[in-house]
Amino acid sequence: MTTVKPILLAEDNPRDAELALAAMEEQHIADKVVVCRDGAEALDYLYCRGIFAARLPNNPAVVFLDLKMPKVDGLEVLRTIKNDVNLKPIPVVMLTSSREESDLAQSYALGANAYVVKPVEFHQFITAVKELGVFWGVINEPPPEGSESIK
Amino acid sequence: MESLAQEHPDTSVPVQPEPASDSSPVSPPKANRLKELFAYWSIEQRVLAGFGLVFAGIVVISAISYRNTSVLIENSRLDSKSHELVQLLSSVEEALAAAESGHRRYLVTGDESYLKSYRSTVEQMPEYLRYLRGLTSEGAEQRDRVEALERLISRQLKAEAGAIVQREKRGYEGVRHLALSGAAKTEIEEIHRLVTELDTAEQRVLHARVEESAGSTKNTISLLGLGAFLQLVLLASVYFLIHHDVAERRRVAAELQSRGELLLAANKELESFSYSVSHDLRAPLRHIDGYAALLSKAAGDTLNDKARRYLQTISGSAKQMGQLIDDLLVFSRMGRQDMLRTTVNLDQLVKTALHDLRLDLQGRTISWTIHPLPNVSGDPAMLRQVFMNLISNALKFTTTRTEAKIEIGAVTKSSSETEVFVRDNGVGFDMQYAHKLFGVFQRLHRNDEFEGTGIGLANVRRIIHRHGGRTWAEGALNQGATFYFSLPLERSVR
Repeated sequence: MTTVKPILLAEDNPRDAELALAAMEEQHIADKVVVCRDGAEALDYLYCRGIFAARLPNNPAVVFLDLKMPKVDGLEVLRTIKNDVNLKPIPVVMLTSSREESDLAQSYALGANAYVVKPVEFHQFITAVKELGVFWGVINEPPPEGSESIK
Repeated sequence: MESLAQEHPDTSVPVQPEPASDSSPVSPPKANRLKELFAYWSIEQRVLAGFGLVFAGIVVISAISYRNTSVLIENSRLDSKSHELVQLLSSVEEALAAAESGHRRYLVTGDESYLKSYRSTVEQMPEYLRYLRGLTSEGAEQRDRVEALERLISRQLKAEAGAIVQREKRGYEGVRHLALSGAAKTEIEEIHRLVTELDTAEQRVLHARVEESAGSTKNTISLLGLGAFLQLVLLASVYFLIHHDVAERRRVAAELQSRGELLLAANKELESFSYSVSHDLRAPLRHIDGYAALLSKAAGDTLNDKARRYLQTISGSAKQMGQLIDDLLVFSRMGRQDMLRTTVNLDQLVKTALHDLRLDLQGRTISWTIHPLPNVSGDPAMLRQVFMNLISNALKFTTTRTEAKIEIGAVTKSSSETEVFVRDNGVGFDMQYAHKLFGVFQRLHRNDEFEGTGIGLANVRRIIHRHGGRTWAEGALNQGATFYFSLPLERSVR
């Protein structure tokens, strides 16, 4: 049932993206991950437009959002998702280097479902990403398709 | 200061009576010396000196005017006295003349009714003379004349009284030689002369006084004019000074505001800087550690021990730098974070800190001595950080001891402050480096002896300073160390 739902990773840094993918590889969920290189691309994916115009119009199981990205930053993407009735049910996990209180407060105020600080140590990073991927991509039951129309 | 000094010619020149001007041809050396002296004075002293001069001028003018006016009042009193005297003199003369002609008619006719005016003159004379003495009491010359006049008058009246008695006794024949010329012809002439003298003298004095009054009135008027001018100058200077002061204050307020805005902007910039540090500097470190791990995994068994150690060193360094960045961020955040002020139960705080450090306590033999601690006023989270740092330091530097002894307590020496200490029996330190203990990134041990970034005690100091307290330490090599900090006690009145 849950096998087809992709995981959206919005991460501008290719090395961070590669490391995250390496972590998910170990859990064999890397093939489900769609990587977007900035906020604008992530929004294109979510709205099935631009290079993603041809994709299956289903919502991802979870969105991993970096905070600092070119063009459209993480908070902006988060605001757009949580203000859109169709996208609102998607779980959003902030995955960032920032430990600043203002970032935490703003993210939760905008409706983020979780906030994870990327550990510097690779083993901790691997563990964090693996656990996140498994929890949100496999364990967590995503909202049913079309739930957005229910009041 | 410079702008103030430039104002001085405007403020003090009208006040100062020509202190010095370069163009002045008269006695330039003296003027220059005055100018030099003047330049030594601060603006306040100059203003005070100017005001003092103007004020003294006004006081002198007021005093002179007061004196002049008193003289005028006195003169007018003397004037009325003089007028009275002149009038009295003519009355006296008239009365004496009436008495003389009365007694002469009686001598000729023997008719008693002619004596009426004589008698009334005799009756009134003492009163007249008393008046006369009163009116001439202030002038010695006139007084002498009045005394002479008195003598003459009494002689005249006496002589006439004698003649009247003769007439009564011996009839007309007895006083015939007197009947035509009167009994006191010489006295009457003398009296007339004296009265005229008195009169002219008084008139002369009167004239002189009128002139003096007119002069002093003129004088007073011009002095009052000058006084009014000085007061105007004083008012104008006061206005100028107030105006200047208000303008200065406005300028300073505006400057303060613009500086406040600059400071705010600088603070914002600093915040965004540390944000960048926290976000951007950590990413490459993560990559170094991550790719090192991936490499060791990919290369796997092909790596020899040496290569594996190199990779471990790369990872270790990256982790250490990550720790440094984190510590530095905490330190910078401690400085700008808003501070809470509440009652903090230090006993509770130490318990929480020990609970948070329980992982570090595993496998250690530690004898704890924790004395009761007072309540203080401060920020609980920050003070918790202080205890965390000091206790973990004590733990770290006692690792070489088979049994670590850690003591925590407080000494309250005054009603407003308490001194908390954390003592250990660890490796201690040399007191000659004590001043370095609380500096940022200052360490007294090599990294292979004891790990650490050297930021913990700097943080302690920053937090305690923000609470208005002090930090210091005592110790000796291999004999343990004691770290102290003072904190304001909880106010007894809440």
